[in-house]
Amino acid sequence: MEQLIEQLKSQIIEALNFEEMTPADIDSEAPLFGEGLGLDSIDALELIMLMDREYGIKLADPKAGKQIFASVRTMAEYIEANRTK
Amino acid sequence: MKIAITGIGTVSAIGINSAETLESLLAERSGIGEMRILGSRHADLPVGEVAYSNEQLKAMAGVSAGEAMPRTSLLGLIAAREAITMSHGVCDAFINGTTVGGMDLTEQHWTDYAQGKATENIRLHEAGESTKVIARYLEQPFQFIATPSTACSSALNAIMLGANMLRTGQAKRVLAGGAESLSKFHLNGFNTLMILDHEPCRPFDANRHGLNLGEGAGYLVIESEEEAKARGAHILGYISGYANTCDAFHQTASSEDGEGAYLAMEGALQMAGLNASEIDYVNAHGTATPNNDMSESAALRRVFGEKMPSVSSTKAFTGHTTSASGGLEAAICVLAMQKSFVPANLHWTQTAEGLIVPSARTEHKQLRHILCNAFGFGGNESSLIISAEGSELSMAERLLAKRAYVIEQTDDADIQSYVSAGESRRMTLQTRRMVAAARRAMSESGVEHPDAIVCATQWGCMLQSMRYLQDMLESDEEQLKPTPFIQSTHNTIASQIAILTNNHHYNSTYSQGKQSVSCAIADIEMQMSLGLINNALVLEFDELVEAWDAVLSLIGDRTQAIAKATVYIKNN
Repeated sequence: MEQLIEQLKSQIIEALNFEEMTPADIDSEAPLFGEGLGLDSIDALELIMLMDREYGIKLADPKAGKQIFASVRTMAEYIEANRTK
Repeated sequence: MKIAITGIGTVSAIGINSAETLESLLAERSGIGEMRILGSRHADLPVGEVAYSNEQLKAMAGVSAGEAMPRTSLLGLIAAREAITMSHGVCDAFINGTTVGGMDLTEQHWTDYAQGKATENIRLHEAGESTKVIARYLEQPFQFIATPSTACSSALNAIMLGANMLRTGQAKRVLAGGAESLSKFHLNGFNTLMILDHEPCRPFDANRHGLNLGEGAGYLVIESEEEAKARGAHILGYISGYANTCDAFHQTASSEDGEGAYLAMEGALQMAGLNASEIDYVNAHGTATPNNDMSESAALRRVFGEKMPSVSSTKAFTGHTTSASGGLEAAICVLAMQKSFVPANLHWTQTAEGLIVPSARTEHKQLRHILCNAFGFGGNESSLIISAEGSELSMAERLLAKRAYVIEQTDDADIQSYVSAGESRRMTLQTRRMVAAARRAMSESGVEHPDAIVCATQWGCMLQSMRYLQDMLESDEEQLKPTPFIQSTHNTIASQIAILTNNHHYNSTYSQGKQSVSCAIADIEMQMSLGLINNALVLEFDELVEAWDAVLSLIGDRTQAIAKATVYIKNN
């Protein structure tokens, strides 16, 4: 799980163009939206696409992302449970 | 002066002309259905396609089968001819809103272009060129041609510019509206935004799941009432008010309280000298996305309070015809006024908290004043009022604007002092340069909050467009990233600057080849003359993209990068 979390942080930085950040700057437990990284609805779509591309998970309803993307940890847990690749 | 409408032309999934359109509306017959022509791999998505192939459209439009023409231009040509024929007048200006332009040809032929084959269609990629192609076939003495490109509000902005031309004596009779064909490019783009419904769309319904894309064209022929009466033309209605504002909230989402939409509707009412209670019908933007319909409902409540007029979205008939929607729906409003009916808001069954309740079935009643909304990406919001009796609108001679301050961003070293890392996360380098130039021009000229922001761009946001196009072709329309699409529209720059500086004022973009800047300046000078604005920020933007530059060099052209911001002030 910890390894997946680290990998996910790198993928998030790349997908969302956080050029000046490193994985160490992201708190695994902190909220991704609102506070924390302050992501918005476009980022949510990018994260949905990231899960599709990297882990073979398809989300049909963008609203479902809300709980999954609560933090990097919740996202990693969801991926672990649902990944197809 | 009073601005009379003397001709309309419509092409969409519900009809190839206004008679067919009217018949479908009255019969409550939607044009949304199975994808037959586009040929996207996402054929499971219902669309509002015009039911004819390009070959059939060419035959109808009198275009030779061998001539390459963007589908946007074909649809536009047919609708424009209808409008001119109906008006029996000669037009001296043509203003045509589009964003897709010739993208349909580019996505079909890109591989050939890149390999140096089949170069004859390359120039047709430009939005402004697709307008010029229509103009060539119309054989009218056009003195002025412009292509506003503010995504889904493009056509309403075209009509507004046309009205300002009449009011400043720059034209005698204007053909204005918009055209847009479906393309794989924007179908995939909207798909990555997860706002396309797999069922027929249900505007303002509690269980709406997004929009269906459509295609089409819609135009009005407008002229002074005096002119129309003098030549004995049949007056179909009047343009009595209009406004363009910016939501300045988000690149693709509308604000919760619908601020931009509220300001646009209020502005249009104010120009028309009407009270909200005098509006009989609102043809809503009503895309059926969860966000638009909630935000537009909030704005409608703010304008109309408890006395909500009849409201419907005709997008459940036609699909969302994007850049054409304002022209098509304005023409539908004219039909509704002529035949005294409120078109049905098809497929509506259930309301939810916060949503307005639309007219689910056709209502037959007299309509004296109709408000028509069109909202676009970047929060480019526009409202137009069409009336049975016109309002007297002021006139003025066109003044020359004074150039107060110019910044051309050439040194990248100080970009960071004008654009923070957080703000620039999704921007291309050239966009960052543009934002830096704009902010410098605004702060150093002392015009911190210009009354208008207008961008001129020949090719638009080409880096993100090319990125998206190439990804789409390589991946065969799968697993595309939304960000490049969101940033591919021509109006990205002007709206981005409005968002960053919280500017709710007039916001527009022109893409008319090398004449883009003169279109932008004509726009602001007419508005200054009419007292609508006192100052304006004009942006000149183009970016150098190697792949595109290489293709252009095949036809002896090149792209030139530019990021220039100029503050203009009214010359008293």
